[in-house]
Amino acid sequence: MSHSNEHHHESFFKKYLFSTDHKIIGMQYLFTGMFMGLIGGFLVYAFRMQLAFPGISVPGFGVVTESGYNALVTNHGAVMIFWFAMPVLIAAFGNYLIPLMIGCDDMVFPRLNRLSYQIFLLSAIILIISFFVKNGGFGGAWTAYPPLSAKAEYNLTPMGAPLWLIAVALEFVAFLIGGINFITTLMNSRAKGMKMYDIPMVVWMIVIASILFMASVGPLIAGAAMLLFDQLIGTAFYDAAKGGDPLLWQHLFWFFGHPEVYVVLLPTMGMVVEVMTTFSRKKLFGYKTFLYSTFFTGILSFVVWAHHQFVAGIDPRMANIFTVTTLLISVPIAEICFLMIATLYGGSIELKTPMLFALAFVAEFIIGGVTGIYLGSSGMDIYFHDTYFVVAHFHYTFVPIAIIGLFTGIYYWFPKMFGKMMCDTLGKIHFWGTIISFNFIFIPLFFLGMAGEHRRIYNYQNFPDLNTVGLFDLRKLATVSLLVMLAFQAVFFYNFIRSLIKGEKAPANPWKANTLEWQAPSPPPHGNFAELPEVYRGPYEFGVPGRDQDYWPQNQPN
Amino acid sequence: MSNNHASENHTAEHHEHPNYKKVYITLLVLLAISVLGPMIGIKALTLITAFGIAIVKAYMVAANFMHLKFEKKYINYFILTCLALMIFFFFAIAPDIMKWEGRNWKGIRPEISHESINGHGHH
Ligand code: HEM
Ligand SMILES: [Cu+2]
Repeated sequence: MSHSNEHHHESFFKKYLFSTDHKIIGMQYLFTGMFMGLIGGFLVYAFRMQLAFPGISVPGFGVVTESGYNALVTNHGAVMIFWFAMPVLIAAFGNYLIPLMIGCDDMVFPRLNRLSYQIFLLSAIILIISFFVKNGGFGGAWTAYPPLSAKAEYNLTPMGAPLWLIAVALEFVAFLIGGINFITTLMNSRAKGMKMYDIPMVVWMIVIASILFMASVGPLIAGAAMLLFDQLIGTAFYDAAKGGDPLLWQHLFWFFGHPEVYVVLLPTMGMVVEVMTTFSRKKLFGYKTFLYSTFFTGILSFVVWAHHQFVAGIDPRMANIFTVTTLLISVPIAEICFLMIATLYGGSIELKTPMLFALAFVAEFIIGGVTGIYLGSSGMDIYFHDTYFVVAHFHYTFVPIAIIGLFTGIYYWFPKMFGKMMCDTLGKIHFWGTIISFNFIFIPLFFLGMAGEHRRIYNYQNFPDLNTVGLFDLRKLATVSLLVMLAFQAVFFYNFIRSLIKGEKAPANPWKANTLEWQAPSPPPHGNFAELPEVYRGPYEFGVPGRDQDYWPQNQPN
Repeated sequence: MSNNHASENHTAEHHEHPNYKKVYITLLVLLAISVLGPMIGIKALTLITAFGIAIVKAYMVAANFMHLKFEKKYINYFILTCLALMIFFFFAIAPDIMKWEGRNWKGIRPEISHESINGHGHH
């Protein structure tokens, strides 16, 4: 429980490193996550260069070896999901936004909140250390399937593998602690008058995501402990030769891994809703339908996991069940996309940078969803499994979720976070550069996949069918587009820093939005509100007939 | 927490504290029973004393020591949902995992009949 007026003059360390203020913790997560995102980007740069130009010495990295390639892919995937998407989308925006948007002064457990960040930081440090130990980082893919992951003889990284696993486990602990805080805060500290259906959608989404995470991660933590035992003290939970079963790991992993996609998807969907309603001046179409569709998606996400194992030798009777549940989940998700489009219909749309990113999210994410329909059918998946078609499919969901979602959030809340406006023109340059190059990375990968290019292969010259000029041209197109995309991120960082230093000063409510965070000063002081707000209505009352203003803040008494 | 909630919560938070000593002693008695149960040597009784009592003890710890008894209603729904998911999970992976009689923890290699695999034996 925090008391806002007790902390006045604090030392730099107390204020920025060991702060219990949810806003500072949110920023710490944001910057750590973005830094890790850059690492993930660097790793993908190294191995995409190897794929397009096999054997060259990659500038800034060196020659990519066979086992080095495995470590690069593994850590790219793990870093992007666990150390970039999750910390930024859930922890950073969740910490920053939840107390502000529900109108209270801090999280219910501020010190637990700080502990969560510290454990997360520790996990990131251990992960980075694992790159530099004997034989380098772990190379058994982010899914860590045994037996490859279980024995140093197979994965050749006697230190890298356990360190990787410990880092992942610590990261889970950090997010469990953080999630508990989010859930209790939403349930107990809402502003006076804020009813369930007055809660802004992004807050709902982050909290539901935390619940999904809580409910799914248990089996994996248990599984990871068993894997660690297999690695270090010679147990045989997953060793078929000694009576264990590697399929057990796959079940434990994907029971977590599939809901995990929704854990990162929901916060982004929430941010997109906030931005879309504000920049089209429209009420969210079907608030309750949206909310219940998400609940339904959440529950369903727990009963689809085995679609990742159609060709792993699972009982074929189960493949039928899981095909049906997988296709079923596209119903609520499609519904949510329609609700977003219906919200735009007839609105007075203003194409500022955050809005561009929000719109791009829907467009690109639909491509990811539609290509998932093919993979969800067990028959088709037998052909497509582990090809670059799959890689392209899940990046058409993950890049919109993680990268587009991050930029939607940052461009929208930057004025609140730092009290300065960002340059819109630079934002638009960054937007178009990122979106166009992103599509040119992954569209070629669909065709490579259909041509039979299997993933996790280090040098396609070894396979006559894949060693053709046409296929290498596609690979080069993807890699060059990646370089373009990375280059355009420099525009973003320039804009970010320039705006911090000499951006125009931001008013409290630059976008004329309704939610409570915009009613606090920019940036909000410790304790957030001079006086805790009282809520009179839902968050999306734009363009209400008979009022002279086109917006109606939640805390304005009529 | 913000002040405006303090008055509302006042009555709710002053629930009766559980009698920790009584719960503790009950737990000890149950523990003794579950240790003595197997000594009688009846298989069905052992199952009841071991697993049945474990469930009762887990409930008592969660309800009293972890204060779940005094939580809001939705905690129960949450626990029930998790339980349902766990049961679904168990039965969905059982056909893959439980192929051999449960000796896996001993690390003994399962005896695979070569006749059933190759379709012919050697006599
Ligand atoms: C735009 C930049 C990105 C590019 C060019 C890219 C490229 C790739 C490629 C080519 C692979 C497959 C390598 C292989 O199977 O041999 C891969 C794997 C993967 N990527 Fe990305 N990626 C990008 C961003 C992301 C993001 C933002 C995420 C998640 C938030 C992500 C998550 C993953 C995961 C989970 C894997 C699987 C790793 C494994 O199999 O162990 N990627 N990426
Ligand atoms: Cu899945």
